[in-house]
Amino acid sequence: MIRFVDTTKIYSNGVVGLKNCTVSVEKGEFVFVIGASGSGKSTFLKLIMHEEVPTEGEVYVNGYSVHNMPRSEIPFLRRSLGVVFQDFRLLPNKTAYDNVAFAMQIVEATPREIRRQVPLALGLVGLSKKAKAYPHQMSGGEQQRVVLARALVNNPAVLIADEPTGNLDPKTSWEIMNLLEEINQRGTTVIVATHEKDIVDTMKKRVIALERGEIKSDEQKGLYFNEN
Amino acid sequence: MKIRTIRLLAKEGTSNIYKNKLMSFASIMTVVAALFFLGILLLIAINITTNIESMKRDLEVTVFLNVSASAFEREEVVTYIEQQQTAGVVAQYRTESKEQAFENIRSELKNDDLLKGLTVENMPESFYIKLTNPAFSDNFIEKLKTFSGVNADYGIGYDKAELEKLEGFLKIFNFVIMALLVVLMIIAVFLISNTIRLTVFARRREIEIMKYVGALDSFIRWPFIVEGILIGFIGAALSFLLTSQAYTWLQNVLNSILISFRLTTLSILEFGPVALRIFMVYSIFGIIIGGIGSLLSVRKHLNV
Repeated sequence: MIRFVDTTKIYSNGVVGLKNCTVSVEKGEFVFVIGASGSGKSTFLKLIMHEEVPTEGEVYVNGYSVHNMPRSEIPFLRRSLGVVFQDFRLLPNKTAYDNVAFAMQIVEATPREIRRQVPLALGLVGLSKKAKAYPHQMSGGEQQRVVLARALVNNPAVLIADEPTGNLDPKTSWEIMNLLEEINQRGTTVIVATHEKDIVDTMKKRVIALERGEIKSDEQKGLYFNEN
Repeated sequence: MKIRTIRLLAKEGTSNIYKNKLMSFASIMTVVAALFFLGILLLIAINITTNIESMKRDLEVTVFLNVSASAFEREEVVTYIEQQQTAGVVAQYRTESKEQAFENIRSELKNDDLLKGLTVENMPESFYIKLTNPAFSDNFIEKLKTFSGVNADYGIGYDKAELEKLEGFLKIFNFVIMALLVVLMIIAVFLISNTIRLTVFARRREIEIMKYVGALDSFIRWPFIVEGILIGFIGAALSFLLTSQAYTWLQNVLNSILISFRLTTLSILEFGPVALRIFMVYSIFGIIIGGIGSLLSVRKHLNV
């Protein structure tokens, strides 16, 4: 599903993003990527999304060779991924419904498909009643649910979340994490970058720990690494 | 691309113009100004060209027979001219007999002293010949020179050299217009691309989201290109209105000046007959300027 083979990413200013990283994530897995800021978490996710390309090594995602990919294929790689951001990135002048529908318009879905899928996605994240609300009329947690609905509405094989709870209070964070787990149980591969120890320790999922661009540990049912 | 999508993208582009009222207004005005100058230059060029053309058409070959030319020698020349008329080289011609020439010179001079010694008999007979095309003049004149009744050295007049000077000037003028045109186009393209860049900037969040969700490049680009093309076209239409008003005004002013100086051989073109041509030129240029302008900024600032 996702495979990094001896992947290195060095940015043009010399900063090492990722160093000789070999790892793979199988279909249906739930994976935490942890590490301090600058450890390479973001680089890891960016390489999956083809926001960056590796300096060396190979990256395979959903059957695409991300390391040497023609530009014209990038949109199709991204259609196979759902992305959730820490800062939500909703369109402020569109309602929750329209924000989700927008993602379907972009991939040229028919109006019928849109009318069927959008309420379904909003229902899945428990926001059916807020469909007509604008982002500024919603709480952070609600906004993040809209983002989740938008990420899921095109049925991506992989969901990528970059610090999805970074701007949320603990209670709301848990609601979002439970939702992510539920989505994972429906068969979507979920990759979450986070540095929230509580959540990682409680959920007992696979944990890939990064430090200065290198994989420090990769454990099933892992814990946020102990400072020893 | 599906029809539904095309409609969506066109709608996005159109509403962008409205959302960015101020900048759209500024770019439309740029197009108006650029095309207005272009149009005025173009109209000046058209006027000069048509005037030179009509002068060329009116230009006559004048042929003076020798004073002592015999009836046979005269007949030779007339036959040749008429033969050329059936061949399509000569448009029309008229003759001036010795008597007419004498009358003309008498009415011109008015002073009897100067007329002393001039008789009908020592006036030359002459022909005034209009050619269908000035290009025929060289051969035609060469042939005329071979007739014994024609004075080969002084008997043939044709002001071609003057016209050629004018035509040379016209060429330079056209060249200057082309250069100015290119400069104007570059300025207009630059300004439009600036406007579109602002739109791109205002919509960068949206664009970013579109990229993450997997929108095709064309899907992201087209609304901006539609916006640029529309700005170009609106500017062209406004500029056309402005040009027609300004030109009509200018035409009236120039016509009254020409009349007061009795320069009736020069004429200022009416706007009506060239209106469609001007409108087409404006639209095409406007659309090209707008399209290229937005394409530039979209390419540069949409690293999808």
